[in-house]
Amino acid sequence: MASPIDFSDERWFQKAVFYEVAVRGFADANGDGTGDLKGLTDKLDYLEWLGVDCLWLLPFYQSPLRDGGYDIADFVTVLPAYGDVKDAATLIEESHRRGIRIIADMVMNHTSDAHPWFQESRRDRTNPKADWYVWSDDDTRWSEARVIFVDTETSNWTWDASREQYYWHRFFHHQPDLNYDNPEVAEAMLDTVRFWLDLGLDGFRLDAVPYLYERDGTNGENLAETHRYLRRLRATVDAEFPGRVMLAEANQWPSDVVDYFGAGDECHMCFHFPLMPRMFMAVRREQRYPITEILAQTPEIPDGCQWGIFLRNHDELTLEMVSDEERDYMYTEYAKDPQMKRNVGIARRLFPLIDNDRRVAELFHALLFSMPGSPVLYYGDEIGMGDNIYLGDRDGVRTPMQWTPDRNAGFSTADFARLYLPPLMDPVYGYQAINVEAGMRNPSSFLHWVQRMLHVRKQHAVFGQGTFEVLNAENPSVLAYLRRLSTPGPEGGGEDLVLCVNNLSRFAQPVELMLATLADKVPIELIGRVPFPALGELPYFVTLPPYGFYWFNLVDPDGALS
Amino acid sequence: MIAEAALARGIGHLLPDFLLRQRWYGAGERQLEGVKLVELEILRTDEPLLAWVLAEARFATGDPSTYQVLVGLRPLAATERFLEGKGRAFLGDLDTDAGPALAYDALVDPELCLALLRHVYPEDPVSLVRPLNLEQSNTSIVYDERLIMKVFRRLNEGRNPDVEVTAALARVGFEHISPPVVDWTYKGRDLAVVREFLVGASDGWQLALTSLRDLYDRRLDPAQSGGDFAPECRRLGEITGAMHVALAEAFGTAGGDPAAWAEAMHAHLARVPSDTEGATFDAVGVAERYDAVAELDDVGQAIRVHGDYHLGQTMRADAGWFVLDFEGEPQLPVAERRLPSSPLRDVAGMLRSFHYAAQSGLAERADEVDEELLGLARAWEDRAAGAFLRGYLQADGVDALLPADPAARTAVLDAFVLSKAVYEVGYELANRPDWARIPLSAVDRLVGTSP
Repeated sequence: MASPIDFSDERWFQKAVFYEVAVRGFADANGDGTGDLKGLTDKLDYLEWLGVDCLWLLPFYQSPLRDGGYDIADFVTVLPAYGDVKDAATLIEESHRRGIRIIADMVMNHTSDAHPWFQESRRDRTNPKADWYVWSDDDTRWSEARVIFVDTETSNWTWDASREQYYWHRFFHHQPDLNYDNPEVAEAMLDTVRFWLDLGLDGFRLDAVPYLYERDGTNGENLAETHRYLRRLRATVDAEFPGRVMLAEANQWPSDVVDYFGAGDECHMCFHFPLMPRMFMAVRREQRYPITEILAQTPEIPDGCQWGIFLRNHDELTLEMVSDEERDYMYTEYAKDPQMKRNVGIARRLFPLIDNDRRVAELFHALLFSMPGSPVLYYGDEIGMGDNIYLGDRDGVRTPMQWTPDRNAGFSTADFARLYLPPLMDPVYGYQAINVEAGMRNPSSFLHWVQRMLHVRKQHAVFGQGTFEVLNAENPSVLAYLRRLSTPGPEGGGEDLVLCVNNLSRFAQPVELMLATLADKVPIELIGRVPFPALGELPYFVTLPPYGFYWFNLVDPDGALS
Repeated sequence: MIAEAALARGIGHLLPDFLLRQRWYGAGERQLEGVKLVELEILRTDEPLLAWVLAEARFATGDPSTYQVLVGLRPLAATERFLEGKGRAFLGDLDTDAGPALAYDALVDPELCLALLRHVYPEDPVSLVRPLNLEQSNTSIVYDERLIMKVFRRLNEGRNPDVEVTAALARVGFEHISPPVVDWTYKGRDLAVVREFLVGASDGWQLALTSLRDLYDRRLDPAQSGGDFAPECRRLGEITGAMHVALAEAFGTAGGDPAAWAEAMHAHLARVPSDTEGATFDAVGVAERYDAVAELDDVGQAIRVHGDYHLGQTMRADAGWFVLDFEGEPQLPVAERRLPSSPLRDVAGMLRSFHYAAQSGLAERADEVDEELLGLARAWEDRAAGAFLRGYLQADGVDALLPADPAARTAVLDAFVLSKAVYEVGYELANRPDWARIPLSAVDRLVGTSP
């Protein structure tokens, strides 16, 4: 059967809405208490209905699962609990049949210490893989490199008793860094990528890319050597698998992150990390400056690239990109219980962070869907799932997807005790109250609202590909911007123009927008299709309800009549 | 359409009545003796005509004032919509070769605003005009949302302080202002200045009220409340400190003169009634604070100051805080505004502004005010002031401008805060007696009659 996907569209990712899903937590087809690829395949109809364009799978590879699967013990084997490579091929095929692409996490920087490569490498100093990892007699080397997981690790070096040397690791001590200075390693990782693209995967989310190389006198982040390798990887992908996408996780300032786009010859996409905490800050402060400030500091990106933007994901709400003072503020605002803090961030899902306020959730999503970048949703946020901050590590935001009010949230038929993590059962966020079935049945649910918004967004490529211009507004609580995209067509084509007006305050707010250059255009509200009074020479006056927002399509007066 | 001489004659007759109706007339109760048209130039001969006029007004008492008036002229038959409801802007009817015409304030006419900018700054073509509705002693017009022209209405001798100070600050590299793009002058006087418009900015007063509305609604401790304003105050303090260091560099410093400062404060205190019924304050206690300053050896440096520093003179934009309007205290003659003073005078102005903001926020919900809200208002103000001062003292080089002894710093700052509050008492009693309680409570706080 032909796929509804246009595989010749190499810029699909600029218009796509991504949906991040943990295979382990989504759906359990074989009843062993852990989600699997078959279970996910069974739920594709739901994802198609929701309207997402691309799934992003958290790692599903062979792993001892000491770091949620980011500790990969074999790159080309599926974790048996999740299925096998054949199941992955079926998932990809079924997904494509529904018009949904799939990308997956790939950890380039390190492996699990259980990986056979490392087991061989640690044996002695002369074996064939002796130089596949970064070994040293000196654990003071590269002391400029910061320790990232400050809650659990004290050094980037760990002593290996069998080889009697230290090995280098930028993350957990059970995740040794691969040695990219060894050409065999560099080549082996290209082969890993080839294996999955060959199977039909539409690309990768590259985990922890800034740290591939180490150099004396540097902090080991964003080195020229790392960029050179990414260019090599991109060239390989473009030549052998055109249209597949590389999405980088580089938790850095936007001015540093843009380097990962290269000259359009490294990654297609990068996450915009600092935007997310600032969206939270802006809404709590009821003023736009936290957002506009970071957007003003965000450089232009090369043609053919795109930001990935998100509200929440499987990691903590990272606060590395805010000042100390702002971090304290965010902790007071959003992490009232010390258990909520993890590393330099806050481990919570969206709804608990915003006190379960539906209006705020809608505003946040309206921002996410209309700001420059491709939105990435996190599984469960579309139904308003909560978290369990008393589970260890980052498991609190990785509990089972809540499908029904039935046993185990409809996630699994296993005995409750066998579940990889208990589903939420508290009275507010528990599966009896919050689940997909209830959301589907209730036309006014948040789930239906998200589905509707995704549908509206899909009609306008301008949200993904248009230019972005913040409008002048004297009211600091209002964030208004124009998205603009030239559209091809007869007589030189036209222009798709969307005006977004957001009220970041919990009080109703007025705003006057200076839109005289667009005089005579008629704003059509995109969700209800209601025409508003035409723009004129005078400032355009808009009133917004608490946390309210409008998306207006600005059309020519004759266009409004048709 | 009309000869220059005839136009001058006609406008000359209309001017006295016109000037008296303008908000920027600013001569108060003084008896207007006469108005003389001293200069006229036709800037645009096509219809609508644009004429530039300087008029000198003489009064029964005090010095004469010079006004700048931009006159537009359109045939009476062709009335335009933009003139509807703008009676205040009309000068009156004039006879021209082409029949009767209406003379009016050209700054309400978008077409003539464009013509004026083309005259002043022909290098940069613009197409859109938006007048800002902030009539003070000048009129501001925004062009294409990227340039702003400030047209001075009442002219002073020599340079306008705002143009003078912003140009000097730009010269020494202080970036938190909107520097002049072009300056329109006549015989050494500033007529108008064109600047870059600060896009996406809101003024500090609006931001403070945004924070306060959140605070009063949630009734949480200010440090715990989402709309916490303290981090912004700290940044604003830093910018203020940097501004003073830049002002010192641009205009030089002189040793502060405690005796002169105290004398000026005393003189002013003597003019404000302290015994108005329901609005009394401890004038003796205030005077003691002024005396304490006079006795200090080291009161820090005297520099050119902003002079009218409050939240409404600051703008938050994406690139941080910006400071506007260096005209100085509008009630003072220009020569006095130029006199060096303590940088702590500006700091005092901002601290008073925090107090006014907290109280204005309360006034918005007067029906709900109780002990708890009053306490929150005070806590917000203290937190804002504390953060502002911390930021201020962090600015590089600001130390050298201040008294070395912390106790002396406090004494000087308190005296300027008191002096500002006493000024406010006088102003409120004359204009808004209900508001006098705000500065009165500040005076009471500092002279120790209330906590």
